[in-house]
Amino acid sequence: MLLFGLDLDYVLVIVLFCVGLYMLVSKSNLLKKLLGLNVMETAVFAFIVTSGMIEGGDPPILVAGTAAPYASPIPQAMVLTGIVVAVSVTAVALALIVQIHAHFGTIEVDELKELP
Amino acid sequence: MKAWSLLLVLLVALPLVVGVVNLPTHDAPDAPIHTGVGVRYLERGVEETGNKNLVTAVLLNYRGFDTFFEVIVIFTALAAVLALPRGSAARPGGFPEEAAHEADGAGGRPAEAAREANGAGVPVSPVVSYVVRLMAPFMAMFALAMLFRGHVTPGGGFQAAAVFAAIFIALGLVLGPARVAELVPDDWRPWLQGAAPLAFALIAAIGWRLTGAFLGFPTDDHTAQEAMGLFLEVGIALGGGVILARLFLEMET
Repeated sequence: MLLFGLDLDYVLVIVLFCVGLYMLVSKSNLLKKLLGLNVMETAVFAFIVTSGMIEGGDPPILVAGTAAPYASPIPQAMVLTGIVVAVSVTAVALALIVQIHAHFGTIEVDELKELP
Repeated sequence: MKAWSLLLVLLVALPLVVGVVNLPTHDAPDAPIHTGVGVRYLERGVEETGNKNLVTAVLLNYRGFDTFFEVIVIFTALAAVLALPRGSAARPGGFPEEAAHEADGAGGRPAEAAREANGAGVPVSPVVSYVVRLMAPFMAMFALAMLFRGHVTPGGGFQAAAVFAAIFIALGLVLGPARVAELVPDDWRPWLQGAAPLAFALIAAIGWRLTGAFLGFPTDDHTAQEAMGLFLEVGIALGGGVILARLFLEMET
């Protein structure tokens, strides 16, 4: 499906990416920043995994009842790796945010900047 | 601040739009992704790996190294989280593992208190509690089905791990983290948390012995191939599930 000559899927992925980026740079709350990062990651995963799709294709599980063309298995496997890395990043970041809150009593970046 | 953020977002969006203009449209059969190495995987993947689910074949076989280091990444994330000092003032210092043991025993929050005021002091709804406890066995069954039918249906080790972790987390929310921590015996915990990298290391060694290549799979012996693949999947599901659940419960306490 085309929108101004662009694939609509790409447009939506870019919009999602930009929403995440906006959250990341404009919000002062660290949790919201982390959420923004996760939205950006989701956009990247959607971009990669949809690139493996094919017109009228079946999932790449070669059992009885399926037929060529199949969706490409590589992007799916790579995104699975990406998701695990994203989870790891989120976990460590959340743990650090918990620490920051315990030490300084706030997770707002502008308040943290003013601390002595 | 907001205006500058919007400007930055637009500055990033512009090259992205320019970048995708010349990409092949989604679903196009002649896109490079459908003419590259993926074609060979689709043609010979089942024969070479003995795995009908080609995503699993790519994950465990063709890109086994990638997955090996991926499970090390999530294990490292858990290690990093455990290495941080506990945020709560109620927790004494000491090594994280010892602190966790104390939390499980007398030093931890009693299950009764956890049931009354969980997390932010909100009482657990009896409806939520009942539904979670009712559904837990079925979720476990679903996870097992994804794990052991993963070679012919959508699913696999990581997916099963996510569902296993969801059971632990949901139960942790209604019963309190201490009760859930009891589900994993203390003696087993380090082994379960390291299950995925350990399984990979063992299979890599076995593959080395059988084929002469690190993490190699014997292409002529499908039984051995399937057994090795299944062992990896079980390791990933157990290790991944326990790690994900521990990450969550660690934040909650």
